[in-house]
Amino acid sequence: MQTPLLQINQLTVTLKKRQALFKAVDNLSLTVNKGEILGLVGESGAGKSMVGSAIMGLIDKPLFISSGEIYFKKRRIDTNAQPFRGAEISMIFQDPLVSLNPLRTIGNQLVETIRTHIPLSKSEALERAKKLLEEVGIDPARINAYPHTFSGGMRQRVVIALALAPEPSLIIADEPTTALDVSVQAQILDLLKQLCKDRGTSIILITHDMGVIADTTNRVAVLYSGRLAEIGKTYDVLKNPRHPYTKGLVAATPQINGASLKNKLFQIPGSMPDLNSIPAGCAFYPRCSQAVSRCEGERPPLFDNRIACWLFDKGAKPK
Amino acid sequence: MLIIIFRRLLQAILVLLFVALISFLIFRFVGNPVESLLGQEATVAQRAALEEALGLNDPIHIQYADFVWRALHFDFGNSYRGALPVAEPILLRLPATLELALTSAIFALVFGVIAGIYTAINKGSFLTNFILSSSLIGVSLPTFLIGVLLIWIFSVELNWLPSFGRGEVVSLGWWSTGFLTSSGLKSLILPSITLGLYQMTLIMRLTRSEMLEVLRQDYIRLPRALGLSSKQIYVFHALPNILIPVITITGLQLGSIIAFAIITETVFQWPGVGLLFINAVYFVDIPVMSAYLLLVGFTFVIINLIVDLLYLAIDPRLRDTELRREA
Amino acid sequence: MRRFLQSDIFYSFRYSPVAIVSFVIILFIILTAIFADLIAPNNPFDPASLNLMNGFTPPMQANDFTGEIFLMGTDDQGRDLFSTILYGLRISLFVGVMAVMLAMLLGVMLGLVAGFVGGWIDSFIMRFADIQMTFPSILVAMLIYGVAKGILPPEVRYEMSIAVLIISIGLSEWVPFARTVRGSTLVEKEKEYIIAAKMVGLSRYQIMIRHILPNVLSPVLVIATITFALAIIAEATLSFLGVGVPTTKPSLGTLIRIGQDFLFSGEWWILFFPAVTLLAFALSINLFGDWLRDTLNPKLK
Repeated sequence: MQTPLLQINQLTVTLKKRQALFKAVDNLSLTVNKGEILGLVGESGAGKSMVGSAIMGLIDKPLFISSGEIYFKKRRIDTNAQPFRGAEISMIFQDPLVSLNPLRTIGNQLVETIRTHIPLSKSEALERAKKLLEEVGIDPARINAYPHTFSGGMRQRVVIALALAPEPSLIIADEPTTALDVSVQAQILDLLKQLCKDRGTSIILITHDMGVIADTTNRVAVLYSGRLAEIGKTYDVLKNPRHPYTKGLVAATPQINGASLKNKLFQIPGSMPDLNSIPAGCAFYPRCSQAVSRCEGERPPLFDNRIACWLFDKGAKPK
Repeated sequence: MLIIIFRRLLQAILVLLFVALISFLIFRFVGNPVESLLGQEATVAQRAALEEALGLNDPIHIQYADFVWRALHFDFGNSYRGALPVAEPILLRLPATLELALTSAIFALVFGVIAGIYTAINKGSFLTNFILSSSLIGVSLPTFLIGVLLIWIFSVELNWLPSFGRGEVVSLGWWSTGFLTSSGLKSLILPSITLGLYQMTLIMRLTRSEMLEVLRQDYIRLPRALGLSSKQIYVFHALPNILIPVITITGLQLGSIIAFAIITETVFQWPGVGLLFINAVYFVDIPVMSAYLLLVGFTFVIINLIVDLLYLAIDPRLRDTELRREA
Repeated sequence: MRRFLQSDIFYSFRYSPVAIVSFVIILFIILTAIFADLIAPNNPFDPASLNLMNGFTPPMQANDFTGEIFLMGTDDQGRDLFSTILYGLRISLFVGVMAVMLAMLLGVMLGLVAGFVGGWIDSFIMRFADIQMTFPSILVAMLIYGVAKGILPPEVRYEMSIAVLIISIGLSEWVPFARTVRGSTLVEKEKEYIIAAKMVGLSRYQIMIRHILPNVLSPVLVIATITFALAIIAEATLSFLGVGVPTTKPSLGTLIRIGQDFLFSGEWWILFFPAVTLLAFALSINLFGDWLRDTLNPKLK
């Protein structure tokens, strides 16, 4: 079997607040393979952005990695991520309106990023920057323009160009389309898919939007309360969701077809618990319609490398 | 771009004329120029003659225009005390105040920015906490109290530094400078600290809060995620973005320094225009007060104008907003 | 009262040592100043009670000539420093309160009118405010003081000193009030209850005073606290410079001025006690003001 590009082993990210400890990410393990797009989906606060930041080593006090390891190409990066940033792993943030330095031209920022990682002269770097702009769909003649002269979607393309500049093997895209118009969303997602295909770059796509997952990812991991609920090939997970939470998410996604237009929008009753009130057993227990008594007190491990739910324990029979 | 400069210039001139108007009104209508020049024993005829000579019977706008015209030629009338032209002592004492103000401003800016950046980057260190606590005291202490306490410690008790005056000064043409003598420099220290302490604290707090704010922004996290070194990020991305508010406040504080120089000059008996002004207030010497108002107003307006223009030079977004206003 | 004790503000107050300590100090100082006549051993403002021979007595030591003992020593005129500080504080507080009230009255009125009426009145008031704000308020106060003194005939200048002082400080601090009230008025103006009031036929004056004013007052109180602190410091500064309270009724600023003159000859107490008092007072007001501003800032919630 091919060695995974990125391997996260039992990662726990803890928040320290006035002498109390809370787990923002709890014993999470997953892998990312070369050339694939992995989706990380969950509600706001489920910990998905935290995973992304942990990989990059961008976690600041009062949060810290309390246990677990992260391996990239078999080298440990959770202890020191700096050498990997940019050259191996890049990141894209949610809001393109604040991701770019408003006081410097996009060309300037591109050249700076390029030259940090690749020894080129200024003019060579400039040429490369122009090619990057072309690749993301921006007219290279605008290389000396300031960020505020671009629309949101265009700025996000610039950010993607920046992320590509040092030729990383993995890009972490943290809600890259959430702040954009729906029509522009599709363009950006297509761009990401194209880049993955052309360059073989793996992508971790963090989002709360099941539609984005369905459209763009090869595999998907569902997060709930900082824990992995379900993980698998996107088609499988969406067509036949196993975890009750995943089922709820899929059902709650608005579809525009005849049947569901007549029905009310489905909602999972209740809400995800706060960091300081996560249940002792399975985190989803209070909201789960299929719970058994075991779910209350014991946290389910990941069965079959796919699903963290007592209903799928080999001994028990699913209802 | 030129249009913007021109517009700003026009606004500045209008404000100046307004300040000149107030100055003129004070000069003309408060107190009695005739009486103070002639004394109370003058006859009606003598008064009438002087009134005519001084142009006090002309229409108001003529008097105002005349006032402004003469001000532009540095003629501010005569002081009530001694009937000497006001312009002379002002010009003589200007270098003292300007040197003091300049030294204080540099002191405040340099130490303030450095302290601000340091405390923002090194949260929780001992030095940071120390600086932050003492800054609170710096803001609370009135300027004169700082000066007096400094004198007590460094002049009276330790006898390291002089407690009043400018020390020896060297004349360079019309200007007299204290920078070239050791006694001159020593005399500058305590007053500069006194004058600059409040500004320094302000600048430090501002720099710190701006730095903290900027460091949280995505356009700092992004380069970090893309592998740029901390140093590079601080210097090229963080610093320019805090420059805007820091420059603004500093520029505006310069005006404040010039005004607070009045207090510092009094504490240290520093022979500048501030001391001149406060004596004028004390003795109700109207022409001096009016001249000071005009000069100080002029300085403030010029400073504000420069800050405005600098602002436009640094932030490209503002230029476009301005130009769009034309369209 | 009970509502106040249960409010968020009071909760935050109880748990902030800074707020409590500074408030206690402020309260202590204010109370001793108000009850100065009861606490002070003698009245330093009454020239008849002064004995020049008492001058320059160190604290807690018997005077060489009269044998009297003074808690904090005496100044050059033989005034008991302790009493003088108390009476001086009283004057400072009086000036501070009156100046703030003047600034508040003027500022709120102008802000209401500017916000509600709008048009060229608004432009004029705000432009004037902008111009005034380019000058530090202490400078404005000095100017107004000088001009006011110039207007008054020489005979009454002395008696009117305190009034002139109040007017100068008050007139130099109206702008923050005006700007805030104007901002709030602009917002309130569009609200439905105001439109309703207009429909019913209330006059502009009635609407402004009875409907808008109560709703724009809360930030005004915060500004008033801060302005009070500024006024106290302004008074001390002006008195130090000699253009504040009359010299026979010295406030802390005046005493510090006198104290500075006698530093070199060793009478340190004349400077020390007033300086410490002013420092404690100024620091407490600033700390309390900071805490108040942070607590009431909705953005930090």
